[in-house]
Amino acid sequence: MILLIQYTLVFTSVLMLVALGGCFSEHSGVINIGLEGIMVFGALGGALVMKYLPVGLPGFLFFIICVCAAMLAGILYSLLLAVAAIDFKADQTLVGTAMNLLGTAAATVIVKAINTAENPNNPSSTIQYIAAKKHFLFVDGYEFNWFMVLAVILLILSTVILYRTRFGLRLMACGEHPQAADSVGINVRKMRYAGVIISGLLGGLGGLVYITAGVSEWKFENGVAGFGFLALAVMIFGGWKPTKIALAALLFGLFRSLSNVYTGFGFLNSLNLPSTVYNMLPYIISLIVLVLFSANSAAPKAEGIPYDKGSR
Amino acid sequence: MASEYAIEMLNITKRFPGIIANDNITLQLRRGEIHALLGENGAGKSTLMSVLFGLYQPEEGTIKKDGQVVKINDPNDANALGIGMVHQHFKLVECFTVLDNIILGVEPAGKFGLLQKEDARRRVIELSEKYGLHVDPDAKISDITVGMQQRTEILKMLYRDNEILIFDEPTAVLTPQEIDELMQIMRNLRAEGKSILFISHKLAEIMAVADRCSVLRKGKYIGTVNTADVTMEDLSAMMVGRNVNFHVEKKPSHPGDVILHVENMTVASKVHKNNAVKGVTFDVRAGEIVCIAGIDGNGQTEFVYGLTGLEPLVDGKIVLQGKDITNAPIRERSVSGMSHIPEDRHKHGLVLDYSLEDDIVLQRYFEGEFTKHGFLRRPNIRQYAEKLIEQYDIRSGQGPVTMARSMSGGNQQKAIIAREIDKNPSLLVAVQPTRGLDVGAIEYIHRQIVAQRDAGKAVLLVSLEMDEVLDVSDRILVMYEGEIVGELDPKKTNPEEMGLYMAGAKRDTVKKEA
Amino acid sequence: MQKSPNRESLLRKPGFQTLLASLLCIVLGLLVGFIALLIINPSGAGEAIMDIMRNFLNYSKRTTQIKNLGNTLVKTAPLLMCSLSVLFAYKVGLFNIGAAGQYVAGAGACIYCAVGLGLPWFVCMLASILAGAVVGAVSGALKAYRNVNEVISCIMLNWISLYLVNTLLSGVKNPTSPYTYSVTKKLVTVDGVQQVVDHPQALLPQLGIQGLFNNNKYVGLALPLAILLAVCIWVLLSKTRLGYELRATGLNKNAAKYCGMQDRHNIVLTMAIAGGLAGIGASMLYLTGFEDWSVTQSSVPGMGFNGIAAAFLGGLNPIASIFSSFFIQHITDGGAQLDKQVYPAEISSLISSLIIYFCGFVLFFKTSLNRWLDRRGEKPLTDKGGKA
Repeated sequence: MILLIQYTLVFTSVLMLVALGGCFSEHSGVINIGLEGIMVFGALGGALVMKYLPVGLPGFLFFIICVCAAMLAGILYSLLLAVAAIDFKADQTLVGTAMNLLGTAAATVIVKAINTAENPNNPSSTIQYIAAKKHFLFVDGYEFNWFMVLAVILLILSTVILYRTRFGLRLMACGEHPQAADSVGINVRKMRYAGVIISGLLGGLGGLVYITAGVSEWKFENGVAGFGFLALAVMIFGGWKPTKIALAALLFGLFRSLSNVYTGFGFLNSLNLPSTVYNMLPYIISLIVLVLFSANSAAPKAEGIPYDKGSR
Repeated sequence: MASEYAIEMLNITKRFPGIIANDNITLQLRRGEIHALLGENGAGKSTLMSVLFGLYQPEEGTIKKDGQVVKINDPNDANALGIGMVHQHFKLVECFTVLDNIILGVEPAGKFGLLQKEDARRRVIELSEKYGLHVDPDAKISDITVGMQQRTEILKMLYRDNEILIFDEPTAVLTPQEIDELMQIMRNLRAEGKSILFISHKLAEIMAVADRCSVLRKGKYIGTVNTADVTMEDLSAMMVGRNVNFHVEKKPSHPGDVILHVENMTVASKVHKNNAVKGVTFDVRAGEIVCIAGIDGNGQTEFVYGLTGLEPLVDGKIVLQGKDITNAPIRERSVSGMSHIPEDRHKHGLVLDYSLEDDIVLQRYFEGEFTKHGFLRRPNIRQYAEKLIEQYDIRSGQGPVTMARSMSGGNQQKAIIAREIDKNPSLLVAVQPTRGLDVGAIEYIHRQIVAQRDAGKAVLLVSLEMDEVLDVSDRILVMYEGEIVGELDPKKTNPEEMGLYMAGAKRDTVKKEA
Repeated sequence: MQKSPNRESLLRKPGFQTLLASLLCIVLGLLVGFIALLIINPSGAGEAIMDIMRNFLNYSKRTTQIKNLGNTLVKTAPLLMCSLSVLFAYKVGLFNIGAAGQYVAGAGACIYCAVGLGLPWFVCMLASILAGAVVGAVSGALKAYRNVNEVISCIMLNWISLYLVNTLLSGVKNPTSPYTYSVTKKLVTVDGVQQVVDHPQALLPQLGIQGLFNNNKYVGLALPLAILLAVCIWVLLSKTRLGYELRATGLNKNAAKYCGMQDRHNIVLTMAIAGGLAGIGASMLYLTGFEDWSVTQSSVPGMGFNGIAAAFLGGLNPIASIFSSFFIQHITDGGAQLDKQVYPAEISSLISSLIIYFCGFVLFFKTSLNRWLDRRGEKPLTDKGGKA
């Protein structure tokens, strides 16, 4: 049972962080299909820091550096989307898709290059961080980590930023009615950049949390297994609102963790379902959720439409 | 106070490839006056305003504020000079409250950018009371009426202490009662020393509220007059350059059999929970033009969607030439003899990235003449398109292969009308067929509609233009809040009476012809 | 003086602009790939990027070259089908990122039909079309009737298809490896005991084409069939009533509805056709016996995603995508030519994903080019005005 709770919390943190990232981007008016790629890059940034940082550093400092590295990697990668979608008016779906493929391909290339440089007979795309990971846990032996705390803090912060600050008001105006925002002197381009960058920050962090969830090495060839898209489903299910996103993430996190721990439950075991059923479960649930919640979508009205100053 | 003028635009010239949008135009707005800017569509009003807001840089001319030459590079510069504008299409964020919309861009905020709305709310309420605007700052934009939304826009300018207020066609979306209220608000603003520029092509409103009026025609400056010194006819002549006879020449109608019978038609609204069309019943006969009149947003769009099959009915019955088409798909209605000139030619009427010939066969491509064994018969399509282009005088750069997108609005509309009329319908549904077109195109389209009537077709015209309604139709049905509130004879009624019906101030129980 | 207007009118041709843009995307993609190689190991980078571009030409013997060209072509056929799937859906305004999942479904169907049920190749192929079409139609129906974003539903279906196919094919797995039995075998139960027997009927006919490729036994029907289908898709889109309707739906959904086209029906039909194309693509690969399916694979095969690259690189033109598919497959195989102890083979996927990314800029490139031409076009006019 405790295993289920800890996995649920880890996966909830991941989905919530990434979905919040998507939420910021979409509120600014840019559809971020590329979250998956951003996660991979965030994970890569974090993993590399975990690999090279001396394990002897104080735990808290180690944690902070890893988090910053993941966020920075996510932000840098998200700029690919920002430049293409905002300045070059590219098809956001196409660019996002390219970023997902590029994320996995580039991360694999980087990790393999590092591994073969160290040892020519090791052309694998795996990074290990067994020792480093211990810094993140706050009870030895259990998978409760500081990321969960950070995720809650960021959830609260996101809610405040979106609904209580000048920045949030302006950001949402850009996603709903950029012409209106422009007419009152708001720089739509800057706000959209801000939205995408925040999604890079949160998505990158989410990637790091994901690869430390219950494992202590990661094979980058596998990317993040569609988690970025699950996060998009969470975002839609959560109606683009942080608090609801948190609840949606909890639900999805629960189903996702079942595939890791279902063997520990007598009654699930007795059902004798193949393990693939549990693997599929989160995706099937998302489809059902999308079917139920897409019809009356609360999506920002101007999302996905490049802003052209000329069209008023 | 160096100058009596709050803002001056002197000798402005703005060229675009192929046309001169503003040719040496001068506009001087006095402090504390209501100044009308009059002109037809395409006269250069919007270009001039875009110049004032820094969206375009003029090739020649200067702008002065209080007698000082100023340079306006973007809307922010204009805002900084105290120039504010109520756009024709409101710049409001629908899911925000009134207050959030007002403070957007000039938000009062404390530490970390946290919003502090209390003072702002107080100020908005104060301003709202001072000018008699009666706006609830906490209401959501999507929940309030169009009139309230417009007042929110006015409050946005007042909150920013704008001194020069520009109203771009502000009455197009309002009911007559709301128009009266707006006029009063404008007078209140003038009394407080604000300078107002009122862009319009509605003569009565200009006469009612403006002190002076500047007239533009085809990009040229015609002159400025005191409204007290002129009549409406004078202004009209200045605007169109001749005393146009708007009246459409037509013979009396001879209604024949009932072609369209609509009974108790009810259509749901997309924006609110109520029905947009509530139990509408009427007939259209062969050889008559029936017009649905009313202010924009009283259910006409939904009514047309319901009639043509774009939206399902909640209740009611539609019979076309004795055939029940209530639940028939769009294609079946079309084949059964219904033609539809849609309200929005870009949204519905044309595939803009199709060639003209492909757009011309949009309603007939599936017929044997144009398709055989699933393959298009290109030569026949070309031939047919060339015939219609010739017959309806559709002008385009490269004939049948011209991209529809590259054609002028008038010719796009001609293409649609050619397509819809040539399929020889028994019922022609024309929705705002002359919207945004110049006088020549309007006359042409009106003649085509009357010709269809004379050829024994039933015509249902939906129009927001009172002149069009009175001139073209044989019978007028006024729609108000989704109901037919009156049936009028254009020969016996007058604009004033129609206005009362359109505003819901007067209503008859229309005889049920069922 | 005479030449300049000619050159300009060539530059204005949409087809030429697309070609130019695609070439630019390739150059940029290769350039960034080259930079990556330089960073990994500067000394061999030039050679490595040439290796990727040479692919089969790296072999010194002419016969080996031809044989390996055959291998590239074997995988070009399915890739072409995936790219047709993507571009066909895109013409109707749908982004079929689900080609990958439809491909997986097709693979599952044809392998199971061949090995598990012992059916001949054309039945297996039909099964894969059907499987792909069903998966595609689900996304289409969700889009049409429930307004579910097709990108997200496609992604979910990609994973669902993968796990379903893994489960299905576990039944025909070779017990000594993670792979299924080859499609040349079939499982039969004799007296309650399962036996593996030869079943060559499931292989696609070679039609003698293998002879052209130094008896590369994998080359056969797939390639001409794929090219034929590309031509069919081109005809369908540009010459038929259905194509007219589908393009109208893609360009202006509202107008299509207004004139009585059944937009929802068309969306489902489009996605079903797109799915069928991706599905048949899978059978074009797996029914050659070139590869077997690993039932433990935990990532969706890249074929469908590369299809996106090929479709956009080909400017969304079915005929052009024949060439772009070959190019993408060519460099993908070229990646395998690299020295694995120095350079990772994924540099190829890096390049093809970069190409997709740069394709996002094509529209901007075209409008900028046109605007530049407009400005150039204006100048001579004003000059003339000055002289007159």
